[in-house]
Amino acid sequence: MLKVENITKYYGSLKAVDNFSFTVKEGEIFGLLGANGAGKTTTFRIIMGLLEAQSGKVSLFGKAIDYGVTDTIGFMTEERSLLTKLTVKEQMLFYGKLKGMDKETILMKLDYWLDRLNISEYKNRIIKELSKGNQQKIQLITALINDPKLLILDEPFAGLDPLNVELFKEIIMEFKNKGSIIIFSTHRMDHVEYFCEKLVIMVAGQAVIDGYLTDIKKNYRRKNIIVKGDINKETLLKINGVLDVTSYVDEVEIKIKDDSVIDEVFKYISKCKNITKFSVEEPSLNEIFIAKVGESYEE
Amino acid sequence: MKFLSRKWVKVMRNKLLFLTKYSLNKKIKTKWFVIANIAILVLTVALINGDRIVSFFGGDFSSTTEVFVLDNTDTSYDLLVNEMAKNKEQLGFMLDYSISKSTKLEAEITKELEGTKGVAIILEADEDNYLKAKIITDNNHDQLLQQVIITAINNTKTSMALSLSNISLTELSRIYNPVNIEYINLDKKNGKDYDSIMSIAMPILILPFYFLVIFVVQMIGLEITEEKTTKGMEIIISNVSPKTHFFSKIIAANIFVFLQGFLLILYSLSGLLVRKVLGAVYGGSTIGNLNISINEFWEIMVTNGIAERLIYVIPLTLLLFILTFLAYSLIAGILASITVNIEDYQQILGPIMIVLVASFYLAMMSAMFEGSIFIISASYFPFISALLAPVLLLMGQISVIDICFAILLLLITNYLLLSQGLKVYRVGILNYSTDKVWSRALKVFKARDSL
Repeated sequence: MLKVENITKYYGSLKAVDNFSFTVKEGEIFGLLGANGAGKTTTFRIIMGLLEAQSGKVSLFGKAIDYGVTDTIGFMTEERSLLTKLTVKEQMLFYGKLKGMDKETILMKLDYWLDRLNISEYKNRIIKELSKGNQQKIQLITALINDPKLLILDEPFAGLDPLNVELFKEIIMEFKNKGSIIIFSTHRMDHVEYFCEKLVIMVAGQAVIDGYLTDIKKNYRRKNIIVKGDINKETLLKINGVLDVTSYVDEVEIKIKDDSVIDEVFKYISKCKNITKFSVEEPSLNEIFIAKVGESYEE
Repeated sequence: MKFLSRKWVKVMRNKLLFLTKYSLNKKIKTKWFVIANIAILVLTVALINGDRIVSFFGGDFSSTTEVFVLDNTDTSYDLLVNEMAKNKEQLGFMLDYSISKSTKLEAEITKELEGTKGVAIILEADEDNYLKAKIITDNNHDQLLQQVIITAINNTKTSMALSLSNISLTELSRIYNPVNIEYINLDKKNGKDYDSIMSIAMPILILPFYFLVIFVVQMIGLEITEEKTTKGMEIIISNVSPKTHFFSKIIAANIFVFLQGFLLILYSLSGLLVRKVLGAVYGGSTIGNLNISINEFWEIMVTNGIAERLIYVIPLTLLLFILTFLAYSLIAGILASITVNIEDYQQILGPIMIVLVASFYLAMMSAMFEGSIFIISASYFPFISALLAPVLLLMGQISVIDICFAILLLLITNYLLLSQGLKVYRVGILNYSTDKVWSRALKVFKARDSL
């Protein structure tokens, strides 16, 4: 289990991470969300030991993370951390050896992952000659080459086309099923909804939402009602508890304060003509994120 | 991160070895290293044998100067040829002429000499002064030959005078034998030939050290900034501690520099060997531009009291060099960690390079300004002392105690650079701030205790 307990980090007078805690069990995928500058990368760096927190502690399987255990961690940074003048093979040998692996194992694993990611022909190519997407694949291999027990992925899908996003998701799910602890950050909420059982939304170094995705959605009281038919937007907005009404091509989305408003809305809709759809839906994570991050900034 | 476990120490030691080896291989196992060293070898050999190479390819300067002698005394020509031959024996290939007796008239010879490199010597008997001569030439370039001719004419006159004085051949031979001079210098301090000392110190100590320091700071800076620019540093530092990373760069760069220094010595020896071989072919025993032979080189060392001091000058100089390389390496590593690209690094390295250049010039000036308090004081300062102190010690301007004091100051400086520099390195190595380089440096230095 990865346990992050009450970590606080200052940069000068700026509090980048404020008394932040979470735990992730083996076989769990944990999403770390937040706007730019929320403290996600600083948190990753503290977990990796690249930065030392002023207070709090981080432990992996009950032990403090030190350079004795970093060989069991895979880290994919937000910006591409590749030595671009090297070939793919040289790069992998360098990083693999830094993780304490022997040459034969590194080359064996490299061949497997290159094949898996459909880039075997680039083994002896200079990295800077590869496309951004292929560089991202190499970056993923550097994080996976040592079969990590803890996999930290900072924006892993950046620069990937939809096909490769699916390939990455598949691989990450394999590691989850093998029992690895996986933490990742992304701006794409659909990825988080697909992957994460558990997540934290960070704002200014603090957790504003924290827990299992299902609980977060359940506890978030606002709901959306999707309606198809001839309705009057102004009349809907006059109903107490209706927050917003948005018209799309053939649907209307009604945002309501909580479940108590559903009946009132239904009463009005039932009087309207040509109604073919009335559906009460959970809000998307994106909506929750915008609402929470927005609120926190307003505060 | 906690650095306490025994496992961590073992892991880091292995990773330090790996990183050092990797860094060293990156410098040595490249075609550029081989190409650069072949070029350095060729240039060094060429530099040491420059005069011979120039002579080999020919040109006006190397064509034999024809010397025509119009001997109106009828007795002087052979004596003059003998005297000229004695000089040629001493000066070897540097004196290239052919001498012949002419029967032409002065006007004819003068006309023939126009536009040539030839020289005509007209010898006339002189009632008061035994001999008078006229030298006719259309160029003044070969000053050495002119000097040799003048000396030979004067010696010819002396020979004529002595033979006319009925002196026996044995007596004549004794007169011409050179005087056996024993040189005893009681004033070791003031009797030194500073120019000769500098001619030894410059190629052996000052220049190689100066270039090797430039090598070391550039190499460390380039490697660290490259890893930072590509953000590869994030992955590296997540697997090895900044301390391990820092030491690997310092150790690899210093091993490389000592290897390169050793190769430079080998190249110089090869150059001298080639010179010796060429000397055997062409004749002559001088070392061309250096103007001293190996024997003369040793003679200078003995005469100036350097040889007897080598037993402590060599180890002290080596120690000073090693510590100074370390100091420059440490400062280069620290500065590179603060910068984010090579342009930043070159900018921040400016003051260090100025110090290096200043110490180079101070070392050169030390021969001109004997006993200068400023130069002697400067020889204690770290970063400067390695270039200055050994030269001053050779000249006898400072003592062993002074150089030991300079070493002590260097040790303190290196300790401070290590203890404070490592803190700066840990903060700076992952700092990608876009602040101006000096302001970033200041911030990183202030934040050095924050990790």
